[in-house]
Amino acid sequence: MAEESLIQVNHVKLDFHTYAGEVKALDDVTFEVRKGEALGLVGESGCGKSVTALSIDGLLPENASVTNGEIIFAGKNLLTIKKEEMRKIRASQIAMVFQDPTTFLNPVLTIGEQIEEVFLLNPEHLAAVASRDDESENKTISNLSKQQQKRIAKRLSIDVLKQVRLGDQDRILKQYPHELSGGMRQRCMIAMALARNPDLLIADEITTALDVTIQAQILELLRDLKRDFRGSTLLITHDLGIVAELCDRVAVMYAGNIVELADVGDLFANPLHPYTKGLMKAIPMLDRRMNRLETIQGAVPDLINPPSGCRFHPRCSFALEKCKSVKPELLHVSNSHTVACHLYDEGKP
Amino acid sequence: MMQNILEIKNLKKWFPITAGLVGRTKGYVKAVDGVDLDIKKGETFGLVGESGSGKTTLGRCILRLIEPTSGEMIYRDQDITKLKGETFRKIRRKFGIVFQDPYASLDPRQTVKSALIEPMIYHKLTQNHEEAIKKAKDLIKRVGLNEDHLYRFPHEFSGGQRQRIAVARALTTDPEIIILDEPTSFLDVSVQAQILNLLSDLQEELDLTYLFISHNLSVIEHMSGRVGVMYLGKIMEAAPKDIVYRSPEHPYTHALISALPIPNPALSQQRVVLTGDIPSPANIPSGCRFRTRCPYVKDLCAEKEPLLETRQPGHLVSCHFDLKLPPPIPILETS
Repeated sequence: MAEESLIQVNHVKLDFHTYAGEVKALDDVTFEVRKGEALGLVGESGCGKSVTALSIDGLLPENASVTNGEIIFAGKNLLTIKKEEMRKIRASQIAMVFQDPTTFLNPVLTIGEQIEEVFLLNPEHLAAVASRDDESENKTISNLSKQQQKRIAKRLSIDVLKQVRLGDQDRILKQYPHELSGGMRQRCMIAMALARNPDLLIADEITTALDVTIQAQILELLRDLKRDFRGSTLLITHDLGIVAELCDRVAVMYAGNIVELADVGDLFANPLHPYTKGLMKAIPMLDRRMNRLETIQGAVPDLINPPSGCRFHPRCSFALEKCKSVKPELLHVSNSHTVACHLYDEGKP
Repeated sequence: MMQNILEIKNLKKWFPITAGLVGRTKGYVKAVDGVDLDIKKGETFGLVGESGSGKTTLGRCILRLIEPTSGEMIYRDQDITKLKGETFRKIRRKFGIVFQDPYASLDPRQTVKSALIEPMIYHKLTQNHEEAIKKAKDLIKRVGLNEDHLYRFPHEFSGGQRQRIAVARALTTDPEIIILDEPTSFLDVSVQAQILNLLSDLQEELDLTYLFISHNLSVIEHMSGRVGVMYLGKIMEAAPKDIVYRSPEHPYTHALISALPIPNPALSQQRVVLTGDIPSPANIPSGCRFRTRCPYVKDLCAEKEPLLETRQPGHLVSCHFDLKLPPPIPILETS
């Protein structure tokens, strides 16, 4: 493949232990995020998109167990490395922004304390910045006083707040999360992620909790950032509009499987999987008029007892006999388009 | 000309903010602050707005689940704002409501049968129990479930099925108007389409009038005939949906519609991004309430509040200026 891959998720299976039984949340999920790209992960609630993100970031809850597969990042399998090592990766290479900034900001610390902490955890970087400023002296971690470190951290914090287009940075650094609006808090979360200058930014439904006009502000910000940000983005959302706008490639998930993965233009112009097709016809869209929405029959299955074979077959109007027993593999119908469905053959769109 | 089934005149709901031990009122949250609206028989009126715009409060005031502070609501030439007791009960059954969250709006200890029969008994709509059960069976089939489902409890159903039950319950009193308060925002998109189609079918079969409240601009566009756009407790613009979505004249409507990401990577959108946040309804800006975020603001806007005026028949706009705004979204196909 021409594009270099940054992170590879290979055949990951994941269960949650609950009193009701084993929830088979991920069933053989395989994809890669390439360097510099924005990959969208779309699907309805419960399809496993957030769980995928959490497993990459090593934030799975206690009752989750990975039964198969690996996540390869920088030559390491993120599913087996030590907690301390994962912590280091989170501190500098993989950053995540969550849906609800109110829950993920610490209410008893000021915004300044929370953003500066990101820099203070990385004293090598502070030393590098200090020596860049003052070329006469070669600063190292050892000869940089605590106060100097704090001063540099504050300056860098102001820079990232500027990057996320927040005005009056000095005041915001002194404020507590409850003093800010939802949109501003989400900007602070993005600032904290950017402060780490990550190789991979995971954005999990970051505009879902916001109003339309505030969402527009954040989308505009993300679009601007995309120009300067050299890393890759994994954008998780249920909103196809956001995907169309911000992503290069899209993976569609259904009930713990990736059912289709394609370049964004391909996916919207020529959706192949019956689920993707159904989803696109089921959503009212402003750029077309429909008298009646097409529906996908039934509801999202219970993942304690997922359907056999293709997990979409009970809702699929094209289901074959084979679909009930054999799980379809992701196959390439073209260079940039893969689909997991028995209706298609390798190499033939 | 269709007949107005419901007219709302200068409706206000101010929630007092109290302070201190004695509960002295120190201000008001003006959730609904002078709304004029008329709903015509058989139509779907879409009410769209962001959180805090007062759309839900307005819906609840119409049913008087919340008592309005002032204003009038006229249902078929009768002022229902102050009606009490038996007279109000007789009118109330003409109004149904479906709430946003089907996990909270159904009593977990009540079977579906009991949830459907209770309103009929309360309003004395059936002669005996058998007749009520017969009607409940009919309703549950109408909303796409089957008779067995009557004997189950809400926890046995999925979100989409629960919302179907909530719709059936709203229909038990043979209402004329149903207030749909974000009926699909808790549902997944593949299930949302089923409920929207169900609502369209029921409207046709039973000659219902809908007030469809939502923050989802695409859903409102799909469902409604006319659309009203609310901002901080007031209607900014109201018109047939094609005008609202294709050629709006209020800068808020324009920004709102252009802000929506369209699932088509081939389109390049000219998005109008409003600066700042929605002001608190406890502290509404003077003059035009949208002026703090309006890209076209002038001095006059701070001094004088614009009135909701008719620009063309059926197109009402609350803005001092006749701004020539470009179409908010590029349109490709119409099928």
